[in-house]
Amino acid sequence: MAEETLVLFKNIRNPKYDKSLSAYKKSGGFKSLKKVFGMKPDEVVQEVKESGIRGRGGAGFPTGLKWSFMAKGTGKPSYLVANADESEPGTCKDRELMLKDPHMFLEGLMIGCYAIGCHHGYVYVRGEYFPSIKSLNEAVDELYADGLLGLDPMGSGFNLDITIHTGAGAYICGEESALLDSLEGKRGHPRVKPPFPAVSGFNGCPTSVNNVETLACMPFILGDNGVEDFKNFGPQNNSGTHLVSLSGHVNRPGVYELRMDVNMKDIIYEFGGGIRNGKKLKGVIPGGSSSPVMTADEVDVLYNFDDLAKKGTMMGSSAMMVFDEDTDVVKLLHRITRFYAHESCGQCTPCREGTHWSRQIIRDFLNGNGSEEKLLRLNRVGGNMMGTTLCALGDAAAMPIQSFVKKFPEEFRKYYATV
Amino acid sequence: MPLFKGFNMPVFDIDGELVEYEPGEKILSAALRCGKIIPHYCYHPGMSIVATCRMCLVDVVDMGNGRPAPKLQTACSMDATEGMKVETLNPKVEEGRKLVNEFLLVNHPLDCPICDQSGECTLQDYAFEYGSGKSEMDYSKRVSGWRDIGSFVALERNRCIQCSRCDRFTREITGTNEFGMFNRGHELTVDTYADRPMTNKFQGNMADICPVGAITEKEFRFKRRAWKLKKNRSICTGCSTGCNVTIEHDRNEIFRLKPHENQSVNKWWLCDEGRLTYRIMNERKTRIHQPLGRVEGKLEGISWEEAYSAIAERVGDLSALPEEVLALTDTHASNEELFLLQKLLKDIFSSDNIFCPLPTWEQSESEFFINTLITTDNTPNRAGALALKIKGDAKSTKLKKAIENELKVVFVLGNPFEAEVEVQEKIKRAQLVVHLGTFHNSWSEIADVVLSGQYYSEKEGTFTNKDQRVQATEIAVKALRRTRPEWQILMDLSASLGHGNSYSSSADVFNAMTEQVKSFADLSYAEIRLFGKELNHKTKDSGMKVVKAHT
Repeated sequence: MAEETLVLFKNIRNPKYDKSLSAYKKSGGFKSLKKVFGMKPDEVVQEVKESGIRGRGGAGFPTGLKWSFMAKGTGKPSYLVANADESEPGTCKDRELMLKDPHMFLEGLMIGCYAIGCHHGYVYVRGEYFPSIKSLNEAVDELYADGLLGLDPMGSGFNLDITIHTGAGAYICGEESALLDSLEGKRGHPRVKPPFPAVSGFNGCPTSVNNVETLACMPFILGDNGVEDFKNFGPQNNSGTHLVSLSGHVNRPGVYELRMDVNMKDIIYEFGGGIRNGKKLKGVIPGGSSSPVMTADEVDVLYNFDDLAKKGTMMGSSAMMVFDEDTDVVKLLHRITRFYAHESCGQCTPCREGTHWSRQIIRDFLNGNGSEEKLLRLNRVGGNMMGTTLCALGDAAAMPIQSFVKKFPEEFRKYYATV
Repeated sequence: MPLFKGFNMPVFDIDGELVEYEPGEKILSAALRCGKIIPHYCYHPGMSIVATCRMCLVDVVDMGNGRPAPKLQTACSMDATEGMKVETLNPKVEEGRKLVNEFLLVNHPLDCPICDQSGECTLQDYAFEYGSGKSEMDYSKRVSGWRDIGSFVALERNRCIQCSRCDRFTREITGTNEFGMFNRGHELTVDTYADRPMTNKFQGNMADICPVGAITEKEFRFKRRAWKLKKNRSICTGCSTGCNVTIEHDRNEIFRLKPHENQSVNKWWLCDEGRLTYRIMNERKTRIHQPLGRVEGKLEGISWEEAYSAIAERVGDLSALPEEVLALTDTHASNEELFLLQKLLKDIFSSDNIFCPLPTWEQSESEFFINTLITTDNTPNRAGALALKIKGDAKSTKLKKAIENELKVVFVLGNPFEAEVEVQEKIKRAQLVVHLGTFHNSWSEIADVVLSGQYYSEKEGTFTNKDQRVQATEIAVKALRRTRPEWQILMDLSASLGHGNSYSSSADVFNAMTEQVKSFADLSYAEIRLFGKELNHKTKDSGMKVVKAHT
């Protein structure tokens, strides 16, 4: 049986760990922060760059690079906002971190704040995550009580505050500029880019928005020999461990911490314990509902950013959704499309009209009103959303539609085939 | 920055044509300035860029660094850069626009036959250009329904294409924030907050900027199809701001005023009160239809010749001294008319007893530009009177002294000092009162001769606004048959009194004025016709009092 590689989950996998500050400190916590306070901010960014860590939120953008883009000398404060609005269907990794080991994430956030010179970090938590919000708030209180937050933590002279802000349950607020709008108290609508948040973000100030898991990696990366170790966890350009949210028709669904060079097949059959009820695999949605679907024949591939990209799909937020041979793919696509139609913010035309229209077409299939013409139309409407919208939600809605129609056309035809 | 020969600003290339841009300017804005047409809905030069309608897609074949953009770009949000090459007409762009247009029409009711926007609707225009003529949408359309949002504009939300211009207008232009976007996804719609009616004084602009028929002016609804309207440039005479407008009319009836862009005056906007001034232009009941003379105490219709000769005869008999002559005018009169009236007094009677009301007036001070469009001075040409050094104010001692004299001849232009009963009582006793005007009022009741003038929509003229900018109006509609423009009446009158100056047009009078009046020197009629021009020699005290805006 394959083993997990424990970096982020080293405490969580310890049954005796009680997520208190003292327990976290006992496990070696806040050593990295202490080390970081002795470094220059630029050196921290350089270390993060060298580690090669790529953002775990879905886009896979190198974090060190993102931080180095932060506008300097503007005379405005900088902000670091942790994106904990984890709403991509299938993803549940950040919840684990925030719920079971909030201090690791908060230490990462503090390291990030120091690296980009931010004196007030924000955590934008998904509104539905009540236990996580409670856990984070308790952890932040502990840190203030201990003097690790507030004025002059650890005698570093670097004042730092952290605010936990809860969202109101909109998927679109996971998009960084919509998140910032929402954080400012406006409607969560994605903004026009450029200017990117690194130039004009929260309240018009330079802002970096980072995923929770990305920030949680920071204590390890900036620990002793962290950069080298981190690099060794995966192939080139795909360094580090990552949390895989495995769900669907497997025997042991859950969040697993894996290296980046694990085969997808092994994830399904060894970590996941195979398909439940001894059924055969039909397909996998590899990176959250927005990633193009893979058929059973395609899953023999290393589960990382680049190898999946070569297969024409994406790792996204590392959320694998496995479905077995009995699954009705059209119903599955209908559910996904319904989600995007509901969550589209509605400001730009192709996504507002396209998500709803494609949902109506798929519903036609389910009602027995499908036709070859409608299948073509579905593909066309989906395609028309691709790359034409302001933010990535249009793409996110288009990719499953196009890939399902391409890879499972027979499933659609079943609904209108004349016998 | 390398500059191309013959250009003062950096340039980029649109469809093989070099276009100048200011650093930081977007492709769309630079293109529109040069007369290139790129279809767009959500973009408005006066408001923030949201890039949401996705209609202004262009193909950037070279981003200025030799590389093409990976996909079609929205021209409204992409910065123009040196050496950039943009194609707006290639098949890829047409395809992109086609699909955006298809999406927009999916839930649009297509009720053009009963929609007032029809004919001036950009969605209609681009649907003709890029639409397929056949819908693949088999499902029932979204229905949001109409909303009653106040007295000035009507909101029919089914036609809305969610461009958010109206929302941004109340947030960024008026700052009143009473309008907003509600719901999300395909149910996204516009409405006022908490069912309250709209309160701002500029709601008509929301109908102007709405690219479709979702917001229309209640005043204009169901009256005329937009394509039947003929348009003439003019100036709003509602107050001394002098907003540029187009008078839109059909069959000699005026239907509405629309703002005309002038960056130095009103930008793109016009207040609701100004829009409603069109009503008086169609007024016939109280109009003076023809010259009138008092015969045995009653006003009766006479011919122009009779009127002129009667006045000449009477003036000859009276042989008035300079101090026994008085002219009163309001500041609705154009610069030319004021000039000719002043000249008539000077030439015939060697008198400068000419007065107009010039009370102090208030101007809002506001962080929102649009609030400065409304002033409490509801006359269009106060600054013109000041530039001609016409004395003013009912309370001024000079006027009081002037009416104490034994008055023999009084000319009244328009409706000055309407509320000053004392002044009117005094003037009633004068031997000859001549009234020039367009509407019957208390002056025409006491006048011996009434000369029928024309309203500003019917004649040419120039007005000087509060910033002392001289602007011209055009003839929009045909005047009543037996009326004449005031400048012509004053010219003829002075000819019949023995001091003839012949001018062929209002422009001719203007040219004479530029030669004779120092304030107007160095202006030419051709120069002021498009966007107006400020006086070279300004009056220092305009009577303005700055107050805080009420919002």
